[in-house]
Amino acid sequence: MRKDDVNIKEANGCSGCGCVSPDDAVQVVWRKTDAIIDRIGTGRELIISLLQAIQKEFNYLPSDALNRIYERTDIDRAQLISVATFYSQLRMVPYGKHIIKVCIGTACHVKGANNVYDALRRELQLEGDDITSADGKYSIEKVACLGCCALAPVVQIDQKIFGHVMPGRVREVLDEFESMVASQEQEDSAYDDSKIQGEVRLGMENCCQASGTAEVYSAVVEACKELGIHIRIKPVSCVGTCNQVPLIDVATLDGKIVRYPNIRPDEVKEVLLHHFRPASRLRRLRNAMLNHIDTFHTDQTWDNILFTPEKERTQSINTFLGGQFRISTEGYGHLNPLDLDEYISQGGFEALEKTVKEMSPRQVIDEVLKSGIRGRGGGGFPTGRKWQLVSDSKGNPIVICNGDEGDPGAFMDRILLESYPLRVIEGMIIAGYAVGASEGVFYIRAEYPQAVIRIRKALDMCRQKGLLGTNIFGTDFSFDIRVFEGAGAFVCGEETALIASMEGKRGFPHLRPPYPAQKGFNGRPTLINNVETLSQIAYIIRHGADEYAKVGTEGSRGTKVFALAGKVNHGGLIEVPMGTTLRQIVENIGGGVEGGEALKAVQIGGPSGGCIPAELCDAEVDFDALNKMGSIMGSGGLVVLSESSCMVDVARYFTNFTCAESCGKCTFCRVGIRRMLDILDRLTTGQAKADDINRLEELALSIKRSALCGLGKTAPNPVLSTLRYFRDEYEEHMHGICRTGSCKQMVKLEITDDCVGCTKCSRSCPSEAIAYTPYEKHVIDTDKCTQCGLCIGECDYNAIKKVKK
Amino acid sequence: MKILVNDKELEVSGERVLIEELRDAGYVIPSLCYAHDAKHEPSCMVCMVRNEANNQMIPSCSTYPTEGMRIDVESDDVKALRRMGLELLLSDHRADCEAPCTVVCPSGIDVAQVLLYIDRKQMDEAFSLLSSAVDVEHLPCTDCKAMCEKACRRGTVDKCVDIRQLLIDLSEQKGLKKVDVTSKAVLDKSSFSSKLGRYNDKEKEWLREEYSQPSHCLHCACEGKAKCKLRECATSAQIKSPRHGVSSHLPVKQQVHVNGRLYFEPAKCIRCGLCVYNTKDSFTFMHRGFDMQVVVIEENKKDIDEKVADLCPTGALFVR
Repeated sequence: MRKDDVNIKEANGCSGCGCVSPDDAVQVVWRKTDAIIDRIGTGRELIISLLQAIQKEFNYLPSDALNRIYERTDIDRAQLISVATFYSQLRMVPYGKHIIKVCIGTACHVKGANNVYDALRRELQLEGDDITSADGKYSIEKVACLGCCALAPVVQIDQKIFGHVMPGRVREVLDEFESMVASQEQEDSAYDDSKIQGEVRLGMENCCQASGTAEVYSAVVEACKELGIHIRIKPVSCVGTCNQVPLIDVATLDGKIVRYPNIRPDEVKEVLLHHFRPASRLRRLRNAMLNHIDTFHTDQTWDNILFTPEKERTQSINTFLGGQFRISTEGYGHLNPLDLDEYISQGGFEALEKTVKEMSPRQVIDEVLKSGIRGRGGGGFPTGRKWQLVSDSKGNPIVICNGDEGDPGAFMDRILLESYPLRVIEGMIIAGYAVGASEGVFYIRAEYPQAVIRIRKALDMCRQKGLLGTNIFGTDFSFDIRVFEGAGAFVCGEETALIASMEGKRGFPHLRPPYPAQKGFNGRPTLINNVETLSQIAYIIRHGADEYAKVGTEGSRGTKVFALAGKVNHGGLIEVPMGTTLRQIVENIGGGVEGGEALKAVQIGGPSGGCIPAELCDAEVDFDALNKMGSIMGSGGLVVLSESSCMVDVARYFTNFTCAESCGKCTFCRVGIRRMLDILDRLTTGQAKADDINRLEELALSIKRSALCGLGKTAPNPVLSTLRYFRDEYEEHMHGICRTGSCKQMVKLEITDDCVGCTKCSRSCPSEAIAYTPYEKHVIDTDKCTQCGLCIGECDYNAIKKVKK
Repeated sequence: MKILVNDKELEVSGERVLIEELRDAGYVIPSLCYAHDAKHEPSCMVCMVRNEANNQMIPSCSTYPTEGMRIDVESDDVKALRRMGLELLLSDHRADCEAPCTVVCPSGIDVAQVLLYIDRKQMDEAFSLLSSAVDVEHLPCTDCKAMCEKACRRGTVDKCVDIRQLLIDLSEQKGLKKVDVTSKAVLDKSSFSSKLGRYNDKEKEWLREEYSQPSHCLHCACEGKAKCKLRECATSAQIKSPRHGVSSHLPVKQQVHVNGRLYFEPAKCIRCGLCVYNTKDSFTFMHRGFDMQVVVIEENKKDIDEKVADLCPTGALFVR
């Protein structure tokens, strides 16, 4: 045992004199690393898990720990360098105490995430390439997508998510975070569960937390304590109305449910008092008095939430929720994600029981085939056919749930995993039964820690209940599921790259054929299904394929979950029947374009998809219709773009994303996308050359045909679709004009004669580009101006304009 | 099994990859990342053919023939895409095939090679090579307009190499023997010639310190050009100059001494991975996307076999 070597060294080291030798620090690192290796193992395929554990322990990958890995495991230097430099989650340099992640997903991008990033850098006084503040307190990085698109722009500090962050208010965000850290020790006291008067339900997903549900939660706890009200406070699955959160549902014992959207912590008490009577008479009296005093001391009762008629309060929610059809998100807003008994009482695991007890694997596959369901991951391959291929292949099959949702602007899979973990698990077990597998793996991306926690808990519960493990429902079918955490690589959503990363390699896609269904993970037949696909399986079995097939269109059956975000009034998670038009989604469900602007386009399918112009938004959305329009379904991110969105900038944004996420294996993707980005950079900075648009198109078409994997083949779609529908904007950029003013280097801010000299802009400017000159027309110093646009919002006289440089 | 190739039937076993079958049948298929009998992964995409049955472009180096395949080997469409692949690789290839001094010499002296001999103190070889091109008794350099010095890349860094003086000194040196040398660059003007472009300030600074031999020569000519498949493919695709702006993240002109006579110059690498896949724990990929590069593992340099240079499709790995 090598471990003994350390002990010998320790024994021989200078332990007697009491000095601290530099070797001691190394010894500590070794000891901790050894513990990790003992826990995880020494196989080459375990490298990602090992590195994640080491990074969790040390906050980065110290070289001493890595040397220990070479010594004690089968991992060699070549593999380690190859893997550790491939995945963006892994880092070789130490970071600050807290990590600030600025989301630059599509929705955040169109709402100005880069300004937020710049503002945070200014606030932390970072210079050049620095990412860590001088005091070592904060490190800052951009992340592809945090999956809270309806709250854009979003910033995450450690585990805490902040929504709607404005560049001018980043200091407040940091302050709030710091005060939160300071008051971390506050504990929730347990209280008597016997005299329950009702229930308060509130969503506790990432996005809800980001908009302050956590504060509302503690307000509810506080208020109950103070008022002596006994109610159950229940965290529930996502309602989907991410724009209306914090939202609470109050359920009383008589079964009535009243919904309060956009509630503020200070309104909680009022609401609770309205519904529940405090336990003792004395309390009641005291409360009445206190409440009375509150009314005098604040003017909040004037527009108090209770005085708004119910209809007005919830109208936008009801239109948002109308027109939706729920399969994957059945039980939204009342199902506790981790209450197994509740899930079972609502018909959960009925489908599994029916499957294993009454159906043969062949029958299950036939049922799924008959339902016509197609894979929700992007390509739309018929799920039943995939199952059949796996079941027909020789070898020991394995089922993988692809939860590596990397598209910026998409958060369906996260919400499904966080809110309906049991439904996905049920679908996965059924899939395992159908293809004859006994092993399943959840592949979940690193940016979704909450989903990982929930799935792990849900798996444990299922195991205890005998729904996972050996002899499920007393049959001889056995199946178990483990979780594999991705390490931050968009390309791993591609199934062959996903398999490579599970095998402990860099996420290089493999040429197909052979398909994973024949030869996948470790050469075994491998079924890879998307989270959303699996979440629809139980419904198909429970209600029958025919019932399922009634929903949707001829070529695309069932429903589709979309993440609606961007410049739309009510963003959120929606589930609609296939064949719903984009306009219905934007107008009816989303409540129209934000700020009353005209709809310009809908970006669908993330970096692999395209922009559908407003005039085509009346087409029914299904797999085939989108393909015809030059987009793909992708995993289902819908980003609404308004008149003020620049299409060339959008194309550049996605190309920049795929360029950074390309694995680098094949020429067309590695170099070709870079060359496309070069041209787009020139176009968006006013330095375009004569033939650039044609050259861009030629490159895009060549890459689409010649790249090796799905990521590369679809990467030119954002460029091709915008070239197809918005070529005039490209031509304007050729001449140095960006009509929306989004391309910063082509415009500058100017103050018009409407200025009255109120100094509001001067005071709001974070980069001191506007001199403080009361009662005089203000002037913007273009050199200092970062075009964050704060002043435009501040100015009451509409006197600040973007003009051509 | 029979497949259709350019509308003609071809009998194939189905056991060998397409490129082997096609090459045996007499078709010329360019390729870089593929080497017969070596481990490889499709990456360069220069060997693409089109399967007319489904209109897919497929790398012939890694695809096995299947029933119903109709292969289009050399239509203009296929050639254009292959050419695009090569152009993209060349746009990330900041390196010179030939030294500018040799290219411009009106007397046909392989100036670069002579300077290389001089810097290595192989004076007999230098003298012999010079005299194989010109009459050393009447050296044309004395009256020449010195195009070589004007073209010299060192001139863009600080001061050009004093080429004429070096050659004159060489011709006047006494007691040098004639030995058998042949110019490595029998200049073929029809060959594609990669050009490095301009050095940036940081590179210039580095070059000034790194290249301080007596001659100050940067030795621009590629030492692996004789075996360079990239150049060969570019020549047969009739590429004259790169169409895309050349830029690269790779360290230009930096040469890593691997061991013995083996050297590695990352800037010339096309990241095909042949050296990575066919050695153990010696070469590896680092980073991803456009930044991806191949690195040599410092600790294991000594174990690397010189033969790996033969696998390398460019001058990135070469034997000096």
